[in-house]
Amino acid sequence: MAQDLTTPRPVAHSLAEIDSQLSKLWARAAAAQAAAALAEAAVVAAQAEAAARAAASLAASLAAAQELGAGAVHHVVARTSVLNLVVLAVDEVTAERCAAIIASTASRHASRSLILSAAEPDGEPGLEASVEALALTTAAGRTETGAETIRIRACGETGLHLASIIVPLLVHDLPVALWWPSDPPFDSHRAERLLPLADQLIVDGSSWSGSGLDTMAKLAAAAEGLHLVAIDWALLRQSRWREAVASVYDLPDLRPHLGAVRRIDVEYATDDPGDSAGNTNVVRPLYHVAWLASRLGMTVHEPLRREPDGRRVATLRQRNHEVEVVLQPGGSDLPAGSTVRVVITSRVRGADLVGEVRAGDRDVQVTVRDGGRDRIKRTYLAPRLNAVDLLSLSVQEHAADSVSVQAMAMVHRLLGVESGPRKGADRG
Amino acid sequence: MSPSRTPAGSPPARTARELREATIAARRRARPEPDSNPLRQGLRLERVPDPCAFVLFGATGDLAHRKVVPALYQLWRTNLLPAQFSLVAVARRPYTDETFAAEVRASVEKYSRVHPIDEEAWAELAKRITYHQLDFGDDDGFNRLGDRLDELDKERGTGGNRLFYLATQPSQVTEIVRQMGRVGLDHEQRASGWRRVVIEKPFGRDFESARHLNHEVEKVFRESQVYRIDHYLGKETVRNLLVFRFGNGIFEPVWNRSFVDHVQITVAEAIGSEGRGAFYEETGASRDILQNHLLQLMALVAMEPPTSFSADALRDQKLQVLRAITTPDFEHVRGNVVRGQYGGGWVQGEPVPGYRGEPEVDPESETETYVAGRFTIDDWRWSGVPFYLRAGKRLPKRATEIAIQFKEVPLRLFRDSTGDPAPNVLAMRIQPDEGIMLRFAAKVPGLGLDVRTVNMDFAYETSFVVDSPDAYETLILDALLGDASLFTRADEVEAAWAVVTPIINAWAEMPAPRFPDYAAGSWGPEEGDALMEREGRRWRRI
Repeated sequence: MAQDLTTPRPVAHSLAEIDSQLSKLWARAAAAQAAAALAEAAVVAAQAEAAARAAASLAASLAAAQELGAGAVHHVVARTSVLNLVVLAVDEVTAERCAAIIASTASRHASRSLILSAAEPDGEPGLEASVEALALTTAAGRTETGAETIRIRACGETGLHLASIIVPLLVHDLPVALWWPSDPPFDSHRAERLLPLADQLIVDGSSWSGSGLDTMAKLAAAAEGLHLVAIDWALLRQSRWREAVASVYDLPDLRPHLGAVRRIDVEYATDDPGDSAGNTNVVRPLYHVAWLASRLGMTVHEPLRREPDGRRVATLRQRNHEVEVVLQPGGSDLPAGSTVRVVITSRVRGADLVGEVRAGDRDVQVTVRDGGRDRIKRTYLAPRLNAVDLLSLSVQEHAADSVSVQAMAMVHRLLGVESGPRKGADRG
Repeated sequence: MSPSRTPAGSPPARTARELREATIAARRRARPEPDSNPLRQGLRLERVPDPCAFVLFGATGDLAHRKVVPALYQLWRTNLLPAQFSLVAVARRPYTDETFAAEVRASVEKYSRVHPIDEEAWAELAKRITYHQLDFGDDDGFNRLGDRLDELDKERGTGGNRLFYLATQPSQVTEIVRQMGRVGLDHEQRASGWRRVVIEKPFGRDFESARHLNHEVEKVFRESQVYRIDHYLGKETVRNLLVFRFGNGIFEPVWNRSFVDHVQITVAEAIGSEGRGAFYEETGASRDILQNHLLQLMALVAMEPPTSFSADALRDQKLQVLRAITTPDFEHVRGNVVRGQYGGGWVQGEPVPGYRGEPEVDPESETETYVAGRFTIDDWRWSGVPFYLRAGKRLPKRATEIAIQFKEVPLRLFRDSTGDPAPNVLAMRIQPDEGIMLRFAAKVPGLGLDVRTVNMDFAYETSFVVDSPDAYETLILDALLGDASLFTRADEVEAAWAVVTPIINAWAEMPAPRFPDYAAGSWGPEEGDALMEREGRRWRRI
């Protein structure tokens, strides 16, 4: 059960005022809690002989509690015991959307969330902040934990110095997750100052502009250089695909095919037939390839390049054979950039095994043909992850997930940026 | 001498070059196929079991309705069951598929831990429910069950994979297993088509009957197909005990006789026999709790670190502990094991009758509703450290806790303090309020040097704010996935009975106990407290 303590929404214009507002909110919460506890105690006491004494005590305590809630300011107790979540929103609409997602995850992950947006870059420097707090009562009704959301609009030159606002507002000794919901400007002065503050960087590669590949390359470099745990929702979204792909090779007699992959085809949806402009975001299709390649010990022989017909192709090596990779645009009702199907073709002793995975809104279907004959047809109940699920999964990561790290490193290599861009590699 | 690397029939390698080439050739020949699936590594979603049929014997019984079906619904609702799934309900009473589904729907409404019921999810699961009426002694009925399961494999694509869940009376287990063997329901197929059987406790009444039951089950199923369920092992805190011990570096160095004074494990229930008087008359606290829950918890606390988290690696280590518990002889039982039975009293503000006044209970009953014992483990880690175990019904509250009490400091520096700091205690609460508490001494703020004991408390619900899965959800999913880590192996069962059977036998040789000897709502008979007090210790107030 969540109780919104924010009535009415307080407004602050400096860090000192934000701290003061937080103090008042929690003092009010403490007072309300104390009053409730005392009222409960009084009911119990009233059943015993000491009812009169308890009532007198209650009246005195309530008065004290009300006084505490009315104006006294106390040091903020760090009730947010899980993490600091810093959101860098590009505009008010994004800030609003992120605030709604955070509010929905509050019952899963208590956090102090700072949602920052820069506004009126040519205006007077200054900030406007609002503070919200949620008191969460568990099902048993006994314990309480808190979530705080501080929304800050930084105007004028203040918007260029967000790090100076963020640092004093972080709860000390807790991990800092930096959520950059739109294209992170990795080359910018702002990113240079903000990224070192974070332990985790949360991004959504599938929302990046253009093909997303240029930003992908910069993400991989930033994560490696700053020892950040980079969490990309585009990769998280593939969990249900990966489960289905992995299941093909759970059968012991199909396991040898893992070392004999010849071709990986990923078909993705596009609004532009044939993706002629190359502007469809292909981050998700590329992650499929990168994940498979990194798990199966493949190396990049020829990095990803764009063909005149709109396809993107690469050549990998596994053991002593080549693996052809094709990212193929296709027509679909799905949003542009969504994966339509993944097909893995492998060959053992001359017989081809073709595993095909497709996903719908609520499930994922797997079909396997072995030597031309149907071998497996299976449906997994696995709905698409929504933004609340994705944020919850993201903040659960406290340490680098080696599978994601290796998949991102493989993206790096597939884009040909391992040691500087290679001639002909597809970055845009 | 190292074995030759040359294949049979080839001349042995003599030179370094020949040996190198032979080694390469041998490696090529014997290139091992990967024994694990590298694509599985790091998957965020829970692994989903293979398509399968869940065959629930005793489907109209209390356990099926309270625990098993609600757990299946929860697994289905959270997409942890395969789409190609059948729930085949087997029992004696006449039902149709629809009437049975309607009846269990009411049970799910009543016992599900998540409300409201997701109607869409339930409708999908209900489509997969099939009822099969069967008397367990009826050969033809089992033949028909085999045919029905084959048909369902074709209709629903369950691939020949079957989990048989025996939620029946213990006395029916042997007959059902025999029938399954006769019909060939245990036969696994090569490519797919696994067969597993889940058996509920109690696993026998004593050492001999447990061995007999194991023998009967093993006539039909291989041990790797058998999943003996003790739901305590599926509880989140019990599983966290393994993480706590082996996922943290700071506790293991002090987890031994050099630092630990003693260990207390309590399984307290506030309820009485709850309409199961006839069952409880034949079991009592020692068979119902001590032989399984208490000894399993003790084994998890005391075991050595396993080399891996595989089922057998874990169970091997638990078995070592169970086998190292000093076997109690008659004199040991008389001096170190206490039994009791509750009389009338007040529990949680309500008057309750004594055990002998409960339905289906002999008015002269000598069944123990309380058992407490002092046990020791004869190994290097624990030699000399007493483990105090207790379990009872009609105690003041429902609480299960493991407490590790550490030795006192060797020198008391703070003599001027008005209170002595209590020894450090690490307490793991299994239920309710699952969590972990560490007790230590702290200075009272002020100019003096007063020392008080304070608690550092970790509570699951505060830290994670999410519901833990029910133990049955965890265990059913594990069984469907073929992970037997949290299930009890036959040799573990027998080793536990080897500890408890001498106690039961010793009591049989003693004069009739003076029951009832503790009031409902108290913490058990005085002898239970004396067990610890004579050694200068006392039960924790929980």
